[in-house]
Amino acid sequence: MSLSKKIQVTAMLFAVSVLATLYLYFKDKPPPTHLADLTLPFIFGRFQIPVDNPLTAESIILGRRLFYDPRLSSTNKVSCATCHKQHLAFTDGLKHSVGVSGRPLKFNTMSLSNLMWGPRHFFWNGRSASLENQALQPIQHIDEMGQNLDQLVDELRQDNTYPILFKQAYGRINIPAIAKALANFQRTLISSNSRYDQYLRGEITLNTNEELGRKLFMAHPDTKASLRGGNCIDCHSQFLTSGFSTFFDGFSNNGLSNDDNLPPALFEVTGKEQHRGLFKTPTLRNIALTAPYMHDGRFETLQQVLKHYNGGIKRSKTLSPLILEADNISKAQKDHISLNLDDDEEKAIIAFLHTLTDEDFLSNPMFSDPFKSEQVNE
Amino acid sequence: MNKKITISLLATAITSLILLSLYLVLMQTTQPSQLILRFKATVGNQPLVLHHKSYANPGGDGVFTVRDLQFFISNIKLLGQVGNVSETESYHLVRFDNDDSFYEIVLPNINVQDYQQIELGIGVDPKANGTITIAGDLDPNGRMAWSWDVGYKFLLLEGALINQEQQVPLVYHIGFNSSYTRLTFPIKEAIKSNTTLINFNVDLLHLFNKSNPIDLTNISTVKFDKNDVAVIAQGFESLITLE
Repeated sequence: MSLSKKIQVTAMLFAVSVLATLYLYFKDKPPPTHLADLTLPFIFGRFQIPVDNPLTAESIILGRRLFYDPRLSSTNKVSCATCHKQHLAFTDGLKHSVGVSGRPLKFNTMSLSNLMWGPRHFFWNGRSASLENQALQPIQHIDEMGQNLDQLVDELRQDNTYPILFKQAYGRINIPAIAKALANFQRTLISSNSRYDQYLRGEITLNTNEELGRKLFMAHPDTKASLRGGNCIDCHSQFLTSGFSTFFDGFSNNGLSNDDNLPPALFEVTGKEQHRGLFKTPTLRNIALTAPYMHDGRFETLQQVLKHYNGGIKRSKTLSPLILEADNISKAQKDHISLNLDDDEEKAIIAFLHTLTDEDFLSNPMFSDPFKSEQVNE
Repeated sequence: MNKKITISLLATAITSLILLSLYLVLMQTTQPSQLILRFKATVGNQPLVLHHKSYANPGGDGVFTVRDLQFFISNIKLLGQVGNVSETESYHLVRFDNDDSFYEIVLPNINVQDYQQIELGIGVDPKANGTITIAGDLDPNGRMAWSWDVGYKFLLLEGALINQEQQVPLVYHIGFNSSYTRLTFPIKEAIKSNTTLINFNVDLLHLFNKSNPIDLTNISTVKFDKNDVAVIAQGFESLITLE
């Protein structure tokens, strides 16, 4: 073989290997279809989407189907939507949810909305640091969905529809793709058209009672400055109404237990004593529909919740000083901790909380069960 | 044929050389010269340890603990003979609950020798304080936001005063435009030889009038009372010093 021939062959081999590498690299890449028609309210602030999971239309279609598919559980009877029902702002109305095992869970189902903002820690005790990580945990939990992930991948591969959807969204069916798709569908669950949002955009005015409630919600009481307050804003941010996104600032001990009964909560995750009894501050959006309340579902009504903050606080070593100190009557507190709001003020705050109900969110067809619409079309 | 190959090989070699030298030049120019501002918190001469350490009530009986200390440093400006430079979106929420127990601000692409003074504000300037702009660490949904018509807490100090088994919550949420305080420090004295690090000390006893100390029992919470806010905020002038 002449020198020039040798060089030609080498060059060809080189070109083939480059092309092969490029093919292997792009083979599993999702198509670059970025979501164009998603509107995000600027008052919610900054958010981050993982660089390895762009918010594509294909991933959302897949995620929505997985979210509503009972085949994600070991019994093929429990889907994510079993406990996260759209008409209840993705809660289930139960004190303790029940999954495949039939044993009631320790915790109350959290509402799913505006998940791109607020605390970067998921579950009541913050044990998961991303939506992708969170998504796989209920699937595997022995009491919730009890599913083996490898087996789930096998089942999905046998299906007629999933291989195509996965191919379009992530190139192939695997465990990370399941997590990513579920996370992306949940990112689209944005609630931003409640009466409060319409008020913030200047489209409507709140009635007198709601406006009094809004003012009380937004104020920490200060008797010295003659300011009455419901103290909600100390934990629930003004627009999102969720906990704060920085560090563990979105976790609080809101006086549900005394020292003898203080649950570990965030302590389970950080191992720090000061985090004992601190749970994630949930969003209050659609709160009128997400009863029962608190991490253990102990309160059935918003009236009971207000009564808790207005006289039912239990003292413990990690109780927020902002709760301990908040009082609408100067120096009234000795051993009894209370906001000392009057009945009308309690009612006003509840009236304001009802302005956080977003009918569009509760009935948005984009968030609904895709299997049902398939049946209708057939 | 052979000639063609030689030419293409030569072209490839030349292109590679150009790319390599470009890469090396870029590496050189992007080598960052930076200025680091490091803040450490103390209570008098003792380091601030959140939650677990107690300190004497500055002007009275009992001891106090701190659960959180956060404050805004904003609009950092370097002044020099060649000109001044202002950091963009310059809003930093200084906090001490990280593993290092100090807080750092890194200003990239700064040649320290070019500047004589550094200027910074404690709090949020009135323009940003009156809006819901999202810039730097300013976040209208953050812990430091009161509500959009009231503005930001400039400084948050929370804890407890323990006196004869009695526990009194301490809540200092200090805001208002009148509290915004600008401080200037000389750079030359601040930089230890051959470093690009300035160490600042944040002594929170300055918030309680170090020369005529306040009894925390008398002023255990400060939020919206203008006089009380002014009493605490006057300490901003001396809160931060060069180490």
